[in-house]
Amino acid sequence: MPRQNRDDQPGIDRQSGSDHARRAPWDIIYYKAPDGKVPAIQFLDECPGTLDAQFTAVLDAVAAAPPPQFSGGGKWEAMHGSMSGFYEIRLSGPRREQFRLFCLLENGTQEELARRGLQRPAIAVITGMRKPWRTAFSERDYRRIHELGTEHQKNLPRSVAT
Amino acid sequence: MSSQMLDVGLHERRRAERMQDPEYRKAYERTAHEVAQTDAVIRELDSLRVNLGMSKAELARRVNRNASSVRRLFTASQARPELPLIIALADALGAEVRVVPRTAELRQAGRDFGGRRRASATA
Repeated sequence: MPRQNRDDQPGIDRQSGSDHARRAPWDIIYYKAPDGKVPAIQFLDECPGTLDAQFTAVLDAVAAAPPPQFSGGGKWEAMHGSMSGFYEIRLSGPRREQFRLFCLLENGTQEELARRGLQRPAIAVITGMRKPWRTAFSERDYRRIHELGTEHQKNLPRSVAT
Repeated sequence: MSSQMLDVGLHERRRAERMQDPEYRKAYERTAHEVAQTDAVIRELDSLRVNLGMSKAELARRVNRNASSVRRLFTASQARPELPLIIALADALGAEVRVVPRTAELRQAGRDFGGRRRASATA
């Protein structure tokens, strides 16, 4: 079976690195809180080393081949239980510290998307969190993330960072 | 209905700005490459399955796994696909997993990705 070389696939423009989003079928947006803060951007800015770059690469890959397709190279995962509806990107940092970026999917009819201020489906990046290796986030942590997601979804049109 | 569309360009602008940093760019490209290869292997397996007219449940039976684990693998709901499962699925689909040395041109590009090689599922 002929296989498509990765270098032939639409995706990263190695020269500019900026060609990806234009071709991706989904947009990527960042939730902005009522106080004007953007938790996900704040989290990414505070990530050590190159984790910001890695999160961005995974987001771009998922936007290029959105769910229900397999995408994200095994770093993008649907959450379950109380966090059902959320997706997380899972990365490890220095000393195996664990970094998570929590996202929601914005999909629907053209009319529904337009009500949200969106021209096409999008990945809504809500917030991020970090924890030491072999520890778990608390239920309170998850509740907080859920609240931010709920707040995001209440906004029509969405409140996003620009 | 709101007729005002949001400015959704922050992600692209932010990435373009950070790509000016060579270390950021290298990490981005390495991750993108790793993700693309993993995704390509999984999609290739799913494509083989579809071409063979095999249901996910049947494929799961053939590798002695429950149907939900195979279904999750082919969708966005499971992270970290395990190599033994990948190999078992490829085998059940009449394929095998190989590490293929790159061509000279791609080897050069590969140095930018830390010398990683291209893996694929082949029938």
